[in-house]
Amino acid sequence: MSITVRTLWEEGAEKLSLSIIVGEGNLDRKLAETAMNRPGLALTGFFQYFANQRMQIFGLAEFTYLKSLSQTEKMKRLKELFDQQIPGIVITRNRKAPKEILELAEQYKVPVLRTPMVTMNFVNECTVLLEKLTAPYERVQGTTMELMGIGVLIRGKPGIGKSETALSLIERGHSLVSDDVTESRLTSRGRIVCWASEVTRYHMEIRGLGIIHVPSLFGVAAIRRQTELDLVVNLTKPTGNEDRTGVYPETVSILGVDVPSITLPVRSGRDMANIVEVAALNQKLKELGHDAAKELDDKIINRLTKGRVKHG
Amino acid sequence: MAEETIVKKFKVLNEYGIHARPAALLVKAAGKFDSEIFIEKDGNKVSCKSIMGLMTIEGYPGSTMQVTASGSDAREAMDEIEELFVNKFFED
Repeated sequence: MSITVRTLWEEGAEKLSLSIIVGEGNLDRKLAETAMNRPGLALTGFFQYFANQRMQIFGLAEFTYLKSLSQTEKMKRLKELFDQQIPGIVITRNRKAPKEILELAEQYKVPVLRTPMVTMNFVNECTVLLEKLTAPYERVQGTTMELMGIGVLIRGKPGIGKSETALSLIERGHSLVSDDVTESRLTSRGRIVCWASEVTRYHMEIRGLGIIHVPSLFGVAAIRRQTELDLVVNLTKPTGNEDRTGVYPETVSILGVDVPSITLPVRSGRDMANIVEVAALNQKLKELGHDAAKELDDKIINRLTKGRVKHG
Repeated sequence: MAEETIVKKFKVLNEYGIHARPAALLVKAAGKFDSEIFIEKDGNKVSCKSIMGLMTIEGYPGSTMQVTASGSDAREAMDEIEELFVNKFFED
């Protein structure tokens, strides 16, 4: 996964209070690594190990060290740094960029950005942002809800009742994340995070009603910006072939992660919201290590085996 | 088709007896038919269309169960249920 400095600039300008000092035309340099580098060691002339594919962060330490150098030495060391094909430089604490850096940046076509943030905070937030920007991403069909902290993706054919189920869940006090189209990304912890695309966020389409704005009708408690996915619920027409015990759990693969899933047949008069709610709770219980179906089955097998009728 | 009642006895042949999976198979098979289907053992009688019923009937391995099917499609229903018992519920 690699992005350009431009992506970091566009997505992070506001959040990280970035401004461009030089190199607005050179933003298309590749950022191959999501970590930051503080080039203090490189400025001392050590390049045997140098993370040249990362953004280079100039903080208080780097500036203080540069100040201790003579004019010629300063230029020489910075030139060595630029020779490493670095993607870009960020100056923290709104420090004034030394004219050597500005000169070299022009010459090597490297963008130099600046932020008022303290170095540590900038590195932390920028790492989180870069991780988000480079995370594996997929747009999936389905409505996402958060029920008591449990993330549930409701899927099914058009018209099966995803939005209606979501609406009933909202009325029961649960929160909408996205209706019908869900954006998802993989976190470094191997979890799937779901959210709604910017434009349609917090809107729903209900057949016969049209488009509604959920927080206006139900209040801000009825919405949630994003949620970690715990369970996928597939709504289907009844086939007579549904799982009746829950002893043999299914999963679906999203971004390479096997997410627990269940298939619920929809019949008229069946309260789907209630069942989805119980399914979510049951999933949470399983995550806590208590699998009711499996435990009952083990108990029955134990009893049955003890009562075995001996042959002959 | 004429209503009829069929009664048959089957031995539980699989390793663990009628636990959740065999119970689910029996319920799925029975659920496809209109006939009333019951399973009986030691004076306990439960509907073959009830998971919870089948899990309480104590279908020990090696025990014998009596199945009663009555209705217009009793014969077909009994055939499907027989297949499950004979094939050890496709276990082992």
